[in-house]
Amino acid sequence: MFKIKEVYDRLELVTDPEIDRPLPELGFIEDVEINGKSVMVGFRLPTYWCSPNFAFIMAEDIRDEVSELPWVTQVEINLIEHSESEKVNRGVNSFYSFEEMFSDKTDGTGLNELRHIFKVKAFYGRQERLLRYLLKNDRSKEDILELTKQTLIPFTRNDRTLEELMKSYLNIREKLNLDNSKTVKLITDEFGKPLTIEQFNDHLLHARRSRLTMEFNGHYCQTLLQTRYSLS
Amino acid sequence: MYRTVDGEELFIIDAHIALWDASKENQLNNHGEEFINCFYDYHRNLTPPEYHWDKKSFLKYSKETLISDVFNKGYCDMAIFQPVPLTDFYKEPFGDIKKNDELVKQYPGRFIGNGSFDPRDKEKGLKVLEEETKKYHLKGVKLYTAEWRGESKGYKLSDPWAKRYLEKCEELGIKNIHVHKGPTVTPLNRDAFDVADIDDAASSFPNLNFIVEHVGLPRLEDFCWIATQEKNVYGGLAVAMPFVYARPRYFAQIISELLFWLDEDRILFGSDYAIWEPGWLIDKFMDFQLPEDIVEETGSVLDLKVKRKILGENAARIYDIDIPRKKEELKNSPINARGDRSIV
Repeated sequence: MFKIKEVYDRLELVTDPEIDRPLPELGFIEDVEINGKSVMVGFRLPTYWCSPNFAFIMAEDIRDEVSELPWVTQVEINLIEHSESEKVNRGVNSFYSFEEMFSDKTDGTGLNELRHIFKVKAFYGRQERLLRYLLKNDRSKEDILELTKQTLIPFTRNDRTLEELMKSYLNIREKLNLDNSKTVKLITDEFGKPLTIEQFNDHLLHARRSRLTMEFNGHYCQTLLQTRYSLS
Repeated sequence: MYRTVDGEELFIIDAHIALWDASKENQLNNHGEEFINCFYDYHRNLTPPEYHWDKKSFLKYSKETLISDVFNKGYCDMAIFQPVPLTDFYKEPFGDIKKNDELVKQYPGRFIGNGSFDPRDKEKGLKVLEEETKKYHLKGVKLYTAEWRGESKGYKLSDPWAKRYLEKCEELGIKNIHVHKGPTVTPLNRDAFDVADIDDAASSFPNLNFIVEHVGLPRLEDFCWIATQEKNVYGGLAVAMPFVYARPRYFAQIISELLFWLDEDRILFGSDYAIWEPGWLIDKFMDFQLPEDIVEETGSVLDLKVKRKILGENAARIYDIDIPRKKEELKNSPINARGDRSIV
């Protein structure tokens, strides 16, 4: 039982790159089987045609996250009912790269660039949610731009929502290798450059577009998956 | 024609319909079956239960059904065919310009039958495009950049051959280029996340209109960005429309983003029939109002004037349709009003 829980805890760390939400929450994890030290993770997607590059990213991330568990020696991925199931599974289970498996579908830039593009989208999406929440709670724009981890943390003590928003934002900053030390300004662009008050409104508009797109895709994909597999 | 309770009339053009054949007999392989299954899931996912089709009717429907759904029950004054051949999945084309043309001829003035091309057909395809333009008087084409063709899983509008085709369109007077950039139905690495080729094509061909179908979903943000840069980029609402019923809050957010970034003159209604029927989409859209908080945040307005543009005037403008004159022409047409007189 505990082993299953441990596996699911690792899977919570794997997100759909387009949606920026964990796979278990989206219903993408079909099942988990544990046999001694080896783990099989079955996953499924909303359509037979979902892009293989995203499927490949998710499959690699599942493999790598579950492999982090100290007792696991082997992880087998099983993407089901997809136009490229066989290739994705064979590739990820044998540690081939996306290029090696899908040479006809890549221009040679690999999946790293794609991963980065979607990390940046997630960064702005999460930042927008945090900004919007702070504005709604009557924090001035000037104040917000000055925020550091040190000055933000005290406000999260009695505010679970804010705490969650902050954690998720700090986490994506870390993934982009941005400086999260205590006295560094947190509201920056994707390169870590702090925003100015003149940029604030425009920045918020652009970030809103990113957040909205991700939310919309999340909704679309999740309900489509429910329709496809008659869940409710 | 849609009439409001106050007696206002709206001229309706559905800019995205199809007459398809995905029947078992016409499926070439498993992909043909999976393709229509995916459409059927879209349909079931976002359609009010009372408008659900059974699977068999969804695979293949008659011309009479189309006329009845789009015109008699669907308020439309005109509709635009956007054919997608998908000949790697189906024996006869999934969407077939020839079959569409039979309806175009049978109901004069009601349809615009668009063509399609595929730059991978190179020289030969350019000839075909010329011939089809002559034969069908093409004013627009539907491009499906994710379509499979043997080993190739798609193309980009910025490819050299695509540019040659766009030059040909300009020469032939085909000025409306409808590009499918939507939920990925066929897997393709590039198409899956990139609308940048539209940007490139739109700036290279300022005299052509690029209508991005499905408003670039799932890349709404990239699409909005491109559309602010390029004034000849339009957003087709097919696929986004049914959210007006299924998730009105999301619909409000999407439409207000579009109004904000594109403006009200560059958004086109499309049902994506037969995935969804225009009748209920239009009913829900006409009843729909933006929530106050969204209006406050974005400053967007979706009043009767804007709805009128989205539902007909914008498409009329890019297809050179003079609405008052068209209304006269259609007065004696057999398909006249919703439910009044059936022509089938």
